[in-house]
Amino acid sequence: MNDNIILSAKNISKTFVISEDSHNTVKHRLFNLFNPPRRKRVEAIKTMSLEITKGESIGLIGRNGSGKSTLVKVLAGVYPVNTGQLRINGSTMLMNLGVGMSHELTARENVYISGSVLGLKIKQIDAIFDEIIDFAELREFMDTKIKFFSSGMVARLGFSIAVKAGADLMFLDEIFAVGDMKFQEKAVKVFETSWIEGKTVVLVSHTMDTIQKYCNRTIYMKNGEMIFFGDTLKAIELYEADNV
Amino acid sequence: MLLKVVKDWGGQSNKFERIWLLAKIEFKLRYYENKLGLLWALLKPIMDICIYYVVFKIIMKTDVPAFASFLFIGLILWNFFVESTTGSIQILQTKKYLYEYSNMNKLELYISQLFSNSIGFVFNFFMFLIFYSFLEKDSIGISFQILWMLPIYFNLFILSLGLALILSSIYIIAKDITQIWQVFVSLLFFLSPILYNLKLFKSALPTFHYLNPIAGIIINARRVTMEKLPPDFNLFLWNMVYAFVFLFIGVFVLNKLGAKAAEKL
Repeated sequence: MNDNIILSAKNISKTFVISEDSHNTVKHRLFNLFNPPRRKRVEAIKTMSLEITKGESIGLIGRNGSGKSTLVKVLAGVYPVNTGQLRINGSTMLMNLGVGMSHELTARENVYISGSVLGLKIKQIDAIFDEIIDFAELREFMDTKIKFFSSGMVARLGFSIAVKAGADLMFLDEIFAVGDMKFQEKAVKVFETSWIEGKTVVLVSHTMDTIQKYCNRTIYMKNGEMIFFGDTLKAIELYEADNV
Repeated sequence: MLLKVVKDWGGQSNKFERIWLLAKIEFKLRYYENKLGLLWALLKPIMDICIYYVVFKIIMKTDVPAFASFLFIGLILWNFFVESTTGSIQILQTKKYLYEYSNMNKLELYISQLFSNSIGFVFNFFMFLIFYSFLEKDSIGISFQILWMLPIYFNLFILSLGLALILSSIYIIAKDITQIWQVFVSLLFFLSPILYNLKLFKSALPTFHYLNPIAGIIINARRVTMEKLPPDFNLFLWNMVYAFVFLFIGVFVLNKLGAKAAEKL
């Protein structure tokens, strides 16, 4: 595989099988041996192929329920694909309102665990630890369990970890909704200075201005299908034309 | 393929650091959230020893020499096994926050959980050595055969890891595996030579120590720590094969079922 390609997906698709009543115990399965549950298949992602090169910033747009979040989870390697092949060349991180943090642990422990999951060595995390805590404005609370945090504080911590640690490939699902206005300003600023250069980003947003500003290529999804992948302006045009 | 994995796990990657970090935090959560700390890890085997000692030595007058130590080593091995299997069934649920947002390898969760249990085990094992060397009346001392504990413990580790992988993957499709396994564990406890004289066990259930994958581990651990004997190599090899078969099945099941954990749990 070409070294510059960070993600390549060939003919991937994802179908969820949803059963109406949950058969997830042995007891239930035994008692309903001759009465199998009614199942519904939902084609969340229809067959598609795509490639992302290093340093690209990709937009992902579409209406609610068009499969954006599922696609993000599939591409991040969180959900397995049903068909096709997915190759990821590095660590991925998916970020929506929070990143993976345990509420039983303190802010400090969460920073170390998340940083480590993102591929940093302990020494590297030591080096950026203060930056993360200061950016999140949580210095007084760094040894408090985050279950005692407000949702805004948790989100800020998650955002700061993502900003400072960062994976090779970041999936950002509506992240500009984090924190109060002041924090948002800060977030946007950091995003512009450190993420756009060097990091590979897939940005999910309903705000067309954001997409237009940051993304060089954009995917437009409709009903689980990739209608268009290419020039951002064209994608937005198609999306808006469809919404009328 | 194998070389690549080894290389990946060694040098540049931070996998070992990460596993150790997760293990330490897990351990701290379990033992240092209360005032007793590490003594808590010791408390359970000691309570168990007291109960079984009263029942089997005082009431039933068993003729096993150094019975308290005999129970001690058996029970700490057994407790490690139970903690690592029963305690890991819901791991994909409780540790979901780690793999839900990234492409982290799930196997690391299990290994770190078992490392965390290992810290407790090592502590208990040293307590056992102190007990056996200084407090036990019928002690015949320790010989260098005790070094065999390393491969025996490795064997137990692999066996527990394999079963943890299988059980927690089944948990995704059948939640009541927790209850089923608990019944099975108590059955296995009474079918393992933890409480009884080995001769009695072997005559009542011939060849059963070959069928029960944990029995041989306990028998061999006693031989190398308390009897100054080398392990029974036949049994030892047999147990290793068991452990790796379970591990192999476990990794397979994790890849089949466990991959769906993020969407099903």
